Amino acid sequence: MNILWDNIFRKAKKENDIRTVLKENALFHDLSDRELSFVQDIVHVRRYHSGEAVFRQGEVGVGMYIIVKGRVEIYVTDPTAAEDAFRDIYITQLLEGDFFGELSLVEENGRRTASAVARDETTLIGFFKPDLMEILERSPSAGVKIIFRLAEVLGRRLKETTDKVSDLRKTLKEMREPPPMTPYE
Amino acid sequence: MSDTKLASRLRRERWLKLSAFLAIHSLALVLLFTIDNLLVSFVLAFVINYLLAPLVSYVERKRIPRHIAILIPFVTSGLIIGLAIYLVLPLVTAQITSLEAQLPIYQRDLLALIGRIEMRIKGLFNLHEFNVAQNVNTWLIAKTGELSTLLPSIISQSLTVALLAPFLAYFMLQDGRSVSRSLLAMVPNNLFELALNLHHQINEQMGGFIRARFLEAAIVGLVVWAGLAIIGFPYAPLLSIFAALMNLIPYVGPILGAVPAVLIALISEDGAIYSSMSLNLFVLTSVFFIAQLIDVLFIIPFVVARIVNLHPVTVILVIIIGAQLMGILGMVISIPVASVLKLTLTAVYNHLLEFRS
Repeated sequence: MNILWDNIFRKAKKENDIRTVLKENALFHDLSDRELSFVQDIVHVRRYHSGEAVFRQGEVGVGMYIIVKGRVEIYVTDPTAAEDAFRDIYITQLLEGDFFGELSLVEENGRRTASAVARDETTLIGFFKPDLMEILERSPSAGVKIIFRLAEVLGRRLKETTDKVSDLRKTLKEMREPPPMTPYE
Repeated sequence: MSDTKLASRLRRERWLKLSAFLAIHSLALVLLFTIDNLLVSFVLAFVINYLLAPLVSYVERKRIPRHIAILIPFVTSGLIIGLAIYLVLPLVTAQITSLEAQLPIYQRDLLALIGRIEMRIKGLFNLHEFNVAQNVNTWLIAKTGELSTLLPSIISQSLTVALLAPFLAYFMLQDGRSVSRSLLAMVPNNLFELALNLHHQINEQMGGFIRARFLEAAIVGLVVWAGLAIIGFPYAPLLSIFAALMNLIPYVGPILGAVPAVLIALISEDGAIYSSMSLNLFVLTSVFFIAQLIDVLFIIPFVVARIVNLHPVTVILVIIIGAQLMGILGMVISIPVASVLKLTLTAVYNHLLEFRS
């Protein structure tokens, strides 16, 4: 599992309708019922066939997706791989309620760092930068709640990445410096 | 499902969705261009929509439902316009009546001026016999006759537009976003993010462009009004409204806006505020020049900076094409339309380069 893509906010779902999925999502968790209805009118519901790409690595990303129904697999493409079979590296599988691509909400013309491909017939909620701008313009209180939660999510992702990098450095150091030899008795 | 089958199914679905999306837009364009007054009403409704949208959002932020938030600026601006008409109309009517009475004199003086210029040119170059004054006179009589025939239809069209445009603008403000969302829902998945981003950028650019242009025109109009009033030039309100409207046309507009005032100064005794004709013209053109200077030095850098940059040659070409296709309205809307086209083409080009890199 890759910590950048692994969902750290996964929760069990009772109903898979749009409103419930939005309400249970980390970004919209603090919104009142009125604000949630407002957001529900703004987001986009998109349907994908099994095997269809949601986005591809390197494309300019405009926003994030939340899985309502189905599964999404995340791949990273390694262009230096010698054979096609090894070019796409499987990273993780995301399930109902999970979300991905949220970094694009705050990046300026940021590119997707991985590809997302639908498995099964998949329904996603798309929440994009223009939608966030519209919320901030028309209902700043709801917009601030979402931005605060988004900052929290990105902060947690960053913390986990930093921890992982530290662990990797530690392992690397241990590999470079062999343990001191015990004196021969 | 195998990869080939999936690819062919996706291709079929994408083409179907894209065709439906383009068909709806084409149908809307055909309706706009074929139904009388619809295009003008639609353009005006767009302008009202973009002018009022920030006010509607401001009211909506006070937790007032959107349909009421739309009504508040509508009713307020309606009252302001009504009050302005109530206050300015007698003034403008008096000026038009006076202008009407003066028109034959202006026509006579204009012809005399052209005659004098003609004589000078003939004296200088010994050219062929030609009678510009006579031709201008015939043209003026013909045009005046045409105007009186066309006047009833112009009034009826203006009334239709005046009623239809605010009605359309109300629904654009109320349901515009949901209509856009429904249309965007038809865009195939692989183009969705691009289309959404493009739609957002065009909306932002258009809104900024229209609001900035109108604010600029209003400020230029006020400066011209103040200047003409200070020097005591006749028809100051009418001439400043004309200058403000003409200022909406880039590059050519400011010159066109000054033409009636200069003509009045040249041919009418009312326009002779100073004894010397050259001093008279100098003071008058100074008023328009100062208004343009304020526009260029202060309004454009601070207010109109968001306008899409088009090369001056492109602007002139686009205005000529607009004028050829749709007359004065074509001249006014040609620049925003060209800006939208430039933005769309740039975004699609960037998409091809970057989105798929």
